[in-house]
Amino acid sequence: MFSDYVLFLFATQPRRAKGIFNVLRGRRTVSTLFAGLTYGCLDQLDSWHGVPLEKFIATAAQLERAGDLVSPSPGYYQLTAQGATRQQTQRALRYQPVAMHVFQTTDVRRFAALSQLALQVVSEAAHRENRYYPVTTDPGVQAIVKAWFRRFHGPTLGQTIYEGLQAFLASLPDELAQIFVQSLTGYQFPGQTDAQLATTFKRSPVEMLVIRRDLTCRWIIWLGQHQTDPLWALLAPLVKASPVSSSAQRTFQDFLQAGDLEMISNRRHLKLSTVREHLLEVAILTPDFPFDRLLTKTVSQQLTTIFTHQPVLTSWQFAQVQAVMPQLDFFYFRLFQIMRCQHERG
Amino acid sequence: MNEDELHDLLKQKYGFDHFRAGQLEVIQQLLAGQDVLAVLPTGTGKSLIYQLVGSVVPGLVVVVSPLISLMQDQVARLNYQGEKRVAALTSQLDFGARQHLLNHLQSIKYLFISPEMLSQDAVMTALKLVPLALFVVDEVHCISTWGPDFRPDYRSLGALRADLGQPRTLMLTATATKRVRQDILRQLRVPDAHQILHSVNRPNIYLAVASLSDEAAKRVRLQQLVTTVAGPVIVYFSSKRQTDLIAEWLRDQTGLRVAAYHAGLSTEDRFKIQQQFMAGDLDVICATSAFGMGINKADIRMVIHYHLPTTLADYVQEIGRAGRDGQPSLAVILYVPGDEALVRNLNELTAATPNEIEQDYQRFIRRQEPTDEVSQVLQYYWQHHATVAEVTVLFATRTEAKERELRELLRYVTSTTCRRAVMLSYFDEVAPAHDAACCQLDGEPFPLETLGLIRTVAAVTSQASDWEKALARLFLPNS
Repeated sequence: MFSDYVLFLFATQPRRAKGIFNVLRGRRTVSTLFAGLTYGCLDQLDSWHGVPLEKFIATAAQLERAGDLVSPSPGYYQLTAQGATRQQTQRALRYQPVAMHVFQTTDVRRFAALSQLALQVVSEAAHRENRYYPVTTDPGVQAIVKAWFRRFHGPTLGQTIYEGLQAFLASLPDELAQIFVQSLTGYQFPGQTDAQLATTFKRSPVEMLVIRRDLTCRWIIWLGQHQTDPLWALLAPLVKASPVSSSAQRTFQDFLQAGDLEMISNRRHLKLSTVREHLLEVAILTPDFPFDRLLTKTVSQQLTTIFTHQPVLTSWQFAQVQAVMPQLDFFYFRLFQIMRCQHERG
Repeated sequence: MNEDELHDLLKQKYGFDHFRAGQLEVIQQLLAGQDVLAVLPTGTGKSLIYQLVGSVVPGLVVVVSPLISLMQDQVARLNYQGEKRVAALTSQLDFGARQHLLNHLQSIKYLFISPEMLSQDAVMTALKLVPLALFVVDEVHCISTWGPDFRPDYRSLGALRADLGQPRTLMLTATATKRVRQDILRQLRVPDAHQILHSVNRPNIYLAVASLSDEAAKRVRLQQLVTTVAGPVIVYFSSKRQTDLIAEWLRDQTGLRVAAYHAGLSTEDRFKIQQQFMAGDLDVICATSAFGMGINKADIRMVIHYHLPTTLADYVQEIGRAGRDGQPSLAVILYVPGDEALVRNLNELTAATPNEIEQDYQRFIRRQEPTDEVSQVLQYYWQHHATVAEVTVLFATRTEAKERELRELLRYVTSTTCRRAVMLSYFDEVAPAHDAACCQLDGEPFPLETLGLIRTVAAVTSQASDWEKALARLFLPNS
């Protein structure tokens, strides 16, 4: 059930619901990314794209009514003892995705649409069938697949695709391989819907959605490791080297070369605050970010002292810093928080 | 082009030896430059008409169509027939894809579009730059039945057509009463269009109504019908929720291959269910009326209405999906007295009282955004400078019309005499003489044996199969 997957996102410490849900919906503001980092759900960034925020909020409220969550302050939730137990039992029952981090660097939904049509086209061609209903009538998807098929078309394409999929699926548990194949569309095989697969495999429809999404991500990883597979050509344009946005990436490169933020701000015609936001984005999404080039030893030590007795870093308040270091910009406080979080996670 | 040449083209392009009733006449009129309003019964291949004309006349064929799902089905069907120069301009395309399509209209032969999309300035500007072979309004009865209080952009079609330089126009529907036909010609501003009218009667569809005492009895009857009468079967519902619930219940009870189909499904799921049904992998489809407008499965044996249709015209459209192969088929309404309340509730969703209309006008004056769907519809009128009094009259007339339609439907449902005669009289037609294969008179059992509609196939349940074998079957031709 959807509510189970929402329950999995909370902990015994309070978490800001909107922050978590915006991570899942793929909002890439620094505050959302920071929430994702501190709550340990950054690997699910963008994986529930399109689900309205209201649905998440309503589900959290429903879990609160059921006694699984409690709201210590408006907008925040934490697990009750009952919720913690239920989280544990449901975690063992429900499918747990392993590859959702692929969403950070790949347009997974686009690849799902392209590959679905590509596999149908290959399957029909392998059986020399040219009269069939295409699985999508989206002209953009059709045009890309058509160009791809022209490039790779040949008497052995069906065999090559078969071998690739066979190798990938053999690396999965049998149930997942079954689901993957049953959901495909091809020659004399319309494929099963999520609802039908859920019935066949005795899973809930939402769980089947998670499984299928995770399977696409796992397949993307596999294709990345087997770039001779013809399908890699469809996937490659959808993959970014880094989850960081290109403008933030550029700012970071400038920073590595020049080091001076004011200078970057002038040269790139960006506000200083934007330059700082870019660097925070990179710091959140890059575990080996060179924090010491921005945080001097003295600042780090002072901040460490302020928060010595507060191990939970989401409880840190900037006001505590201002009381001791009134001249310090919020940027350095947040950067220090990110550094500590990265160290804890590392 | 003479008749022989048209026959040759039909054979060569579509593989048919003969035109179906009405097709040739409509094509000839269009090729002679006439605007045509064609009322042809369901299952007569209406889309072949504009396809064939499009293949002869240079320029773009614009097809105005009411539903995105229908447009996608039509595009897929043309793709299936090997026509690649076809596209649907819908809200589902992102901005870039839409722009690309509008900039490349000269490379498209058939463009499917909704009235709302057609009203956009950018679309009209692009369309004015390409020659039009034909302007088609598919399911043209929607102008009259949906226009006033549901899809007001239908009312702009006449002006838009004029703006496009009055291209040769084909208006297509399976069901239109005299009143609706007059409304169509007036709205589209084609008073001189040639009308080609064929009977809506489908003599191979046996008509029946099962009057039942309550909801439980309805379910029992539904189960009994799908397990004893030959399939494939479509069961129509008026709500998505009921569609899902009953589909699941029916699957559990009967072990039959049952799927739900409605507008809440993803495009992918809709495709899969349609194709499973076409391929004979499903015994029963539980659907809202969204299903089937673009479906062309010849051997559907039974159409059941679990809830009442909205009008007799809709009913004729929906049961028209049965028996396109000409073989005997069955259409049954499951009726519990009081079911009409549901139709009234649905009708009220799009209704507005004089007071609500006045208040909405005040909202418009205050430049506030529309508050709900009715308000969205009213917004259209305020933007088109209609007065509160005019809109009030329009909505009152529409409410009256819907109530009249419901009475006509109930006359059919509760009839104790020949149902076909009642149905056809609604379309100002005279029914053929009643016989045993016509319809069920009050209290009579279904003549399943005479009609050859007794279910013979044992239930098949779907099972997961070995994935390696399934994968090989997909990609290796000799496995």
